[in-house]
Amino acid sequence: MEPKIIDFEQGWDYIETGITALKRHSESLPVPKFTLEQYCDLYTAVYKMCVQKSPYDFSSQLYQKCCETMEEYMNSTVLPALNEKLGDEYMLLRELVERWSNYKVLVRALSHIFFYLQRFFIVRESLPSIETVGMGYFRDLVYNKLQSKVREAVLALVDKEREGEDIDRKVTKRVLEFYIEIGMERYEQDFESFMLKDTASYYSRKASSWIQEDDSINDYIFKSEQCLQKEKERVSHYLHFSSEPKLVKVVEHELFVVHENQILEKTHAEKQIGLGPLAKIFKQHVEDTTINAKEQVLIRKVIELHEVYMVTECFQSHTLFHKDLKRAVAGSDALLATFCDRIILKKWGSEELSEEDIEKVVMFLAYISDEKDIFAEFYRKKLALRLLLNRGVSDDHERSILTKLKQQNRGQFTFKMERMINDLTLSRENQNSFKEYVAKPGIGLTVTVLTSGIWPSYKTFGINLPNEMVKCVEVFKEFYETKTKGRKLTWIHSLGTCHVNGKFDQKSIELIVSTHQAVVLLLFNTKDKLSYNDIQTQLNVGHEDLVWLLYSLSCGKYKILIKEPATETVSRTDVFEFNSKFTARMCRVKIPLPHVNDKKKVIEDVDKDRRYAIDATIVRIMKGKKALGLQQLVSECVQQLNQMFKPDIKTIKMRIEDLITRDYLERDRENPNMFRYLA
Amino acid sequence: MRETVKLISMEGFEFIIDREAAMVSQTIRSMLTSPGGFSESKDGVVTFPDISTTILEKICQYFYWSLQYSRGKETEFHIEPELTLELMMAANYLHT
Repeated sequence: MEPKIIDFEQGWDYIETGITALKRHSESLPVPKFTLEQYCDLYTAVYKMCVQKSPYDFSSQLYQKCCETMEEYMNSTVLPALNEKLGDEYMLLRELVERWSNYKVLVRALSHIFFYLQRFFIVRESLPSIETVGMGYFRDLVYNKLQSKVREAVLALVDKEREGEDIDRKVTKRVLEFYIEIGMERYEQDFESFMLKDTASYYSRKASSWIQEDDSINDYIFKSEQCLQKEKERVSHYLHFSSEPKLVKVVEHELFVVHENQILEKTHAEKQIGLGPLAKIFKQHVEDTTINAKEQVLIRKVIELHEVYMVTECFQSHTLFHKDLKRAVAGSDALLATFCDRIILKKWGSEELSEEDIEKVVMFLAYISDEKDIFAEFYRKKLALRLLLNRGVSDDHERSILTKLKQQNRGQFTFKMERMINDLTLSRENQNSFKEYVAKPGIGLTVTVLTSGIWPSYKTFGINLPNEMVKCVEVFKEFYETKTKGRKLTWIHSLGTCHVNGKFDQKSIELIVSTHQAVVLLLFNTKDKLSYNDIQTQLNVGHEDLVWLLYSLSCGKYKILIKEPATETVSRTDVFEFNSKFTARMCRVKIPLPHVNDKKKVIEDVDKDRRYAIDATIVRIMKGKKALGLQQLVSECVQQLNQMFKPDIKTIKMRIEDLITRDYLERDRENPNMFRYLA
Repeated sequence: MRETVKLISMEGFEFIIDREAAMVSQTIRSMLTSPGGFSESKDGVVTFPDISTTILEKICQYFYWSLQYSRGKETEFHIEPELTLELMMAANYLHT
C-alpha cells in the first residue's frame, strides 16, 4: 500500500490545529482537552512529512514554521498580556511568572512533537534546537523589553518589605528564579547589581538619619543588627544564595564603615557602651579585611585596623577587641618580624622612616603578647643580618626602634639586641686600630668581632684555608691579643665575604663570594681541573657542606666552574673545571649561596630557650617558697613567664620531673603533689 | 502492581505490555511523560495506525529482549529477513 503523500499546506494546517489546541492546553484551559491521541497524531504527521521523499521532504519548512509559531505566539499573546499589566507591580510580576511557565510547557510540548526534526534535520544542519530557539524568543522579545520594568517592580517590593509591609514573597521568588533561568549573568548584571546599589542607597539614607536622631549608640547598633538579620532572611526567602555575601558586605559598609568616625565619636562621648554587639561587628570587619590577605598585606592591614580602632582611647583598654585582633593575627610573629625587617630596609633606602611608623609597629607588638619570644628571636636574626651585611642601616634608627621596644616590654627583650649594636661599634673601632697595626699593605682584611651568646648562633664549618688567608688570620690574632687577653676567637667563615679577581678569557671580573667559596675557587689557581674527591681532601670539608658550596659555583645562575657531568646535583664522582669562558655584563658579580630556610630552626631554638627559662623560674620559685603544691607551682610559673610567652602546662610538669632527677627538687613522701626545694 | 500500557496496531490488535518495556522507545517515553499531563497518560493507550500487527508484535518482543540484555543476559535477537525493512522504519518512528 502506497503511503499517501502529504501535501505541505494540508499537513501544516493539520498540525496547526493541533498546536492551537496545545496552546490552550499549556494555558491550562480546561476545554478542549489535549489528548495523547492528538499528540500521537501530530507526531506522526511530522514524522511523515519528514520522511517523504524529496521534493516532499518538508523538514526545513516545518522547522521554520515551528519557530515562526513560537515567535508569533510571543508577539500575539504573551507581550500584549504583559504590556497590559505594566501599571501595577504585582499584576506585572504575576503575569510574567504565569506566562513564563505556560510558555515553557508549550515549548517543551512542541519540541516533543517535532522531535523527529530534532533527531535528524536539526543535527544535520547544526541548527539550534527548538527549545533553544523558543527560549531565545522569550529572552529577546519579552525579557529584553521588559526587564528594567520588572526589576523596578521587584526592587519597589523589596523596599516596601524593608519598611515593614508584607509582600508576596512567592511571586518575588518565582520572578527571581525566572531571571536565573534566563541566565546567571542576567541575574547578576540586570538584577543583582541594581539590587545592591539600591540597598546601598537605602541604607545610607537610613544610616544618616539614625545617626542624627539617635542619642544612644546602643540603639544604632541594635537597629543595624536587626537590619543585617533581615537582609539575610531576605536572601533565604527569595534571593539567590550567591547574593548573600555581597549583600551583607554592602549593608555593613553603609551602616558601619561609612559612618565609622561618627560611631567612634559617639562611643567616645558615651562612657557606657554595650560592647557585645559592637565587638561582633568589629570582628566581622576584621575578618572581612584580613581574609585571604597575603603576608605583608595582612600585617599592613592589621596595623591599619589597629590604628583606626585602637588609637581612639576608648577601645584601647578593652580586652574584647584585643582578643579579636589577636585572633586575626594568630601565628604571624615571624611575619611581623619579617615585615619590620622589610620596612626598615626599604624605607631607609629611599625615605626617612618616621617616628610614627616605628611607634605604630611597636604598639602593635603589645598585642602579640602570647609569643613575644618568637618575635624577639626572629627580629634578632634579621637584625644580625642587617648589621653584618651592612644592608643600608643607620645605627641611630636601629637604636631608636630598640628603645621603643624596650618601653613596651621588659628589659630582657632588647638586652641582647642592644649589645649587638654595641658590638658592632666596638668592632669598627677595632678595625681602625687594626689598620694602623698592619702598617704594611697587602692584607685587605676586615674583621668584625662578635660577642658569642649575644648574637644568634651561626652554623659554620671548618675549612683548610690557603696560605694567604692563614697569614691574615694569624696577623689578626696577634693584634687581638694585644688588645684583650684571655679571649678565644672562633672564625665564622660562612658569614665572611671575599672579593676575588677572576681572570676570564673575555675580561676580568670581580666576584663577590663567601669565604668558603673563595677558598674553593683559589684551589683552581694551581690546577684547571679538580675532581670532587680532590677538593674534599684538600679542603677537609664535610660532604653536605661541600655539595652546597660546589652547587653554588657550578649549578647556579653564574657558572664559574663547569661540572662534568652537567647534572642538577653534585655527586662524589663529579669533576670540576675552571670556566674560562665565563663572562657577565657587569665587572663585578655576586655569587649567592642558596638560601637556607631557618624558620624551623629558630622555633626550635626558642623552644630550647623556653625550657631553660621554665627551669630557672621553677628553681627560683622553689628557692623562695621551700615547699609548694603542684597547682600553686604551676600557676606561679605561668604568671612569671607570661610576659614573654605562654608556657604549656605539660612542659612545666616535664621540667619539674627533670629537675627532680637532677636533684634540684624532691617529692614529698606523704603527698605526691607537694615538692620541696633541695639546697 | 506494575503499570501497563496498551499499544494498538493498524489492524486494531491490542498489545498490553509493561510500562517499563514500552519506555525503551523514546517516542513512547516522551509521550507518556510529557509535562501537561495528557489525559490518558496514566493508563496509556497509544494507537499506531501505520504499524502492522506483525511488526508491532516483533517490536514488543524487542522491548523485552532489550530489558533483558541490559540486565546482563546477552542473548541474540533473531529477525526474519522479510520484516527488516518495515521493522527499521517502525524503529525509526519510535526512536528505538
